[in-house]
Amino acid sequence: MRIHFDWRLARVIDSDGNVIDELVWSGKRSVGALADRLAELQSGRLSPEARVLAERFSEGEADHLGAMSDPDWPEADGDEQALFAEATDRLARRGVADAAGDLDRRLDMLSSAASELRASWTTSEARCVEWAGLFLSEADLDAQRRDIPAAVAEADSIDGAAAALGISSPDHQPSPSEWDALRSHATGVVELTGRLDAAEVATRELARGYVPSLSLLLGPLGAAKLVVLARGRERLARMPSGSLQVLGASGAMAAHRRGAPPPKHSPVLFSLPQVSKSPRWVRGKIARFIAGKCSIAVRVDHFAGEPWDEERIAEINRKVDAIKARFPKPPKRG
Amino acid sequence: MARPVKLGWGVRREGRSGIWTRNAVRGVSVRGERRKQDSRIEWRAWDPNRSKVAAALLRTNNDPSDLLPEPGSTCLYLGASYGGTVSFVHDLVCGSNNFHEGQIIAVEIAPRAMRELAALASRRPGLVPVLGDARLPHTVSPFIREKADWLHQDLSIADQAKTFVKMAGAFLKPEGTGLLSLKAASERSSDGDDDTRFAKAERILGKSDLEVVERIDLAGFEEQHVVFHVRQTAESG
Repeated sequence: MRIHFDWRLARVIDSDGNVIDELVWSGKRSVGALADRLAELQSGRLSPEARVLAERFSEGEADHLGAMSDPDWPEADGDEQALFAEATDRLARRGVADAAGDLDRRLDMLSSAASELRASWTTSEARCVEWAGLFLSEADLDAQRRDIPAAVAEADSIDGAAAALGISSPDHQPSPSEWDALRSHATGVVELTGRLDAAEVATRELARGYVPSLSLLLGPLGAAKLVVLARGRERLARMPSGSLQVLGASGAMAAHRRGAPPPKHSPVLFSLPQVSKSPRWVRGKIARFIAGKCSIAVRVDHFAGEPWDEERIAEINRKVDAIKARFPKPPKRG
Repeated sequence: MARPVKLGWGVRREGRSGIWTRNAVRGVSVRGERRKQDSRIEWRAWDPNRSKVAAALLRTNNDPSDLLPEPGSTCLYLGASYGGTVSFVHDLVCGSNNFHEGQIIAVEIAPRAMRELAALASRRPGLVPVLGDARLPHTVSPFIREKADWLHQDLSIADQAKTFVKMAGAFLKPEGTGLLSLKAASERSSDGDDDTRFAKAERILGKSDLEVVERIDLAGFEEQHVVFHVRQTAESG
């Protein structure tokens, strides 16, 4: 005995193909109600009518694919077809709108925006400091680095910028058009600094809420990067830690497939001082250890475990130091 | 100019690589393709460089009309993306305002692509946009009115052939036409080079209930891609 159903009706059919019982959707048929119904069916559940019939006939086996290959299944009439067309459209648009509720996508936008801004900020800021520094030969390009773009952006001449930085006016002046270009470049850098800051603040905030344990272990920006590289928190949580260890090192992994030695760590893990400040011969061991801990952390975060605290992180750092202490000297080449 | 060759209702070939379909929405191009007027009918250019189905029509050694669905049939398109190819299939299966009464279920998992697909569907009755995972039969089954006469799968995932066998088993009518666009780069790199991956897919199809009619190599139009033309056997399904 089988139960066939679609959004309109459900039927109990015996082994000879006779219809034993039938239940038609009798509630108010609206576009919204049908869209809800289709969403429920799509997630693998039975329709309300099929559920009732399944209770009535305990030996009836519900078949999701039954109705479409049933030759006696009634065809949809004109009204039903029109309602169906509207409902599928509504459901598709609802799905598109719901993508904004997906924190993986939000984190992707934020984290990618932050890293793109960081990349262009580094270039622009360095150019701005070098350019202004060419004229302002007395400025200290290390100690005053942060103040230079703002000083140039707010001044109305190179002498004004020099005065703002507390140094004497330069011997060579930029031409008026050159100064305009320099100043608008500096204005751009100041504005870019603000944009970068906003993107990173928001990324950190989201990552601290979404992957708290991983954020504590890697820093929120690194944690966000890993989630984005894995294309979602769930995929990261289900990833073996060996894959997490090299996540983002795709070029090195491609080279490895062609015979090169495997990468020891991804750029994300390398950015940790525990890895990058350690001697070369223990970096792989530490990266492997931390990748294992990252795997556990993200699983704790994804599968609703108790988030880690600072004590846990201190413990991990002690173990990292122990690894370092065990290998004080580079291995002998044999 | 050579006389156009009719490949089916509303689709014809002109010259060596021009395929045109009868535009179901007059005056509108879906992705900026050329349109032209021939007496009272508007035709839309189906670019084989951008559509694997169009490329397969040109590259097949058999009758190209075997690859196409009949007007008014039920079609399942897995991995519809932004709906470029889907719109051409719609031209010949549904026609203007769906006067053939066909149905095309276009399944796509990416909300970004679904955005365009939903807009396309609202102009083209008979086209049903479905947001969901094309590997799962129950994401498709609530929407399809009967088993499909024509099935095309174009997914960038690993195990494309296995998925195709599963979905064709669930949804393809006896004697129904199936097209599998296989992208070598999507399969696991541990499966070997492109040819081994194609051979592996062919083995999986061969072991299934499906009958492989032809393996169509798209080199020249789409690198590292083949289209498998299969037919559902009469008994199964």
